[in-house]
Amino acid sequence: MTATANTTKDTSAPHTSAEPAVVVRDLRQKYGDFEAVKGVSFEIRPGELFALLGTNGAGKTTTIETLEGFRRPSSGTARVFGQDPYGQPVGVRERTNAVLQGSGLMEDLSVDETLALAADLAADPRGTDEVLTLIGLTDKRGLRVRQLSGGQKRRLDLGLALLTRPEVLYLDEPSTGMDPEARHETWRIIGDLKRDGVAILLTTHYLEEAEKLADRLAIMHRGEIRVEGTLGEVLAGWGDRVSFLLPSDVRTADLPELEGAEVEVQTREQRLWATYTIRGGDVADRAHHTVAALMAWAGERGGTLQHLQVRGASLEDVFLQVADGAADLVGE
Amino acid sequence: MTTTATEGTERRKKGPGALRQTLRLGRTEFTLFVRYKTALMYLIMPVILLLPVLNQESVPILGEYTTTEAALVGTIGAIALFIGLGHPSNVFTARREALVLKRLRVSGVPAVAIFGGVFLVVLLFTLLIAALIIGGSIALGGPLPSDPVMLVFSVVLGCLAMTLLGLLITRFVSNAESAQMLSMVPMMALLFLGGSFIPLDVLPDGLRQVAMLLPVAPTVEMAQAGYFGYDVFGGLEGAEPVGLIGLWAGALPNIGVMLVWIVVLALLVHRYFVWDPRRP
Repeated sequence: MTATANTTKDTSAPHTSAEPAVVVRDLRQKYGDFEAVKGVSFEIRPGELFALLGTNGAGKTTTIETLEGFRRPSSGTARVFGQDPYGQPVGVRERTNAVLQGSGLMEDLSVDETLALAADLAADPRGTDEVLTLIGLTDKRGLRVRQLSGGQKRRLDLGLALLTRPEVLYLDEPSTGMDPEARHETWRIIGDLKRDGVAILLTTHYLEEAEKLADRLAIMHRGEIRVEGTLGEVLAGWGDRVSFLLPSDVRTADLPELEGAEVEVQTREQRLWATYTIRGGDVADRAHHTVAALMAWAGERGGTLQHLQVRGASLEDVFLQVADGAADLVGE
Repeated sequence: MTTTATEGTERRKKGPGALRQTLRLGRTEFTLFVRYKTALMYLIMPVILLLPVLNQESVPILGEYTTTEAALVGTIGAIALFIGLGHPSNVFTARREALVLKRLRVSGVPAVAIFGGVFLVVLLFTLLIAALIIGGSIALGGPLPSDPVMLVFSVVLGCLAMTLLGLLITRFVSNAESAQMLSMVPMMALLFLGGSFIPLDVLPDGLRQVAMLLPVAPTVEMAQAGYFGYDVFGGLEGAEPVGLIGLWAGALPNIGVMLVWIVVLALLVHRYFVWDPRRP
């Protein structure tokens, strides 16, 4: 999928001139007759965060596990720093790290012991005090991991992942179980890692998280990438909505035709509503032009647009549409 | 934050190496073993095994040394059967399901260090119990070990083979409880054909030969040979005292059998060990 619209958000990554750290080409993963991943391609450059969204079972975790080196592709290729990551070879394993979908902590160790172990096993670790401060667990350092809350464990997972100073980081739903404050702090940490030049692959169920962090994103469904681009590109293809109550003396055919917008009339609560969907054009001001034209039309008729609603495209709209199975959201 | 993110591999600091990582993981394995109460069961099991051994009818068999003393020393070769088979199969299954193993791998720790760590804790506790048995034997009037190197070497070989077998078992189970159940099967089979619980001399010849090709009986014999200084490799009955060279020459087939087991089991673990709890 490509999208041609300009975007209002600066989504360019700071290191886009660098060679991609992660390259996935036509990746397929089969389990017997079931194809979990069906020809997925993307790349991630240093300093760039690529978000992989999708429903449960869309193939996101299988894709990450392939990059982590736990699964050999059925066909296609995955490359990390130009190397096949299968089996975590030298040259890849010391430069990558991950927050797994589940926690993966040794419950009988203390927070301090957990970080000290990770630091002793790593080549060039951050200081454990620095990591504890970053993840806000300094006052919990003496506790056994099993005494931590779910959100605190998740922060420790993130701490372990950034302790080894990875150049490529896989984050599989990293903020699940965190309270809003911890989630925002996690976003800040991830933002800092991006600025430091780390190439990040993120999966998340929180669309707000992807909107805040992602330079580029893809929505997967049933093993395929259905939509891909910068946030602006993805939203440009979806369209803004302008709705109002259809005046009783106006027939559907009487509604004005507006350039770049499609009109549809639906019945809601036993009343007729007109909805204009505006696709393409500049995301920043496309809704304005449509609303202005409709106001002018209403003015000529000597009436008003009742219950006027203007709704910008949201990632949630796109996501839900993809999840429902529509593949042609964003036109070529 | 500071970072090395944009630097290439060549500019990254050199890692601690697999040996240091193994020793470090061994230290944590020790901490976890001590904190994990179930692990104590694997320490108690070989001690319980001593009770029927000590109740056997005692007759002189190696010069002045009796069948009871021979059997007691022979149990050294069987300690690894409990700790090596039981502990790694149990905790590695639990850790795989809890994503602990995967977490270690994604942070760059090689498989050999992760396996090496648990081998070290198996070896440590096996040597500890072996030392207790030898201490007890000496206290009861037994001799000092004739060849401590062979004694320790037999323990190392046994621990390696049993740890690898324990790791291989994790492939076939999905939780720690079923790992405990499944590990009992080879544990009991190898115990009865190991030569410490039932002396191999009383078994039919064919069965004795099969037992000698399994990965416990060879180490039991090596422990007895190393402790008493007798060439027991053709059976306890009629064994003669020999010098160091004769002892090691006699042990070669046993060492060979153990090395073959270790290599085969290591290849199987390398090929079939599963790090990821997710199954397609």
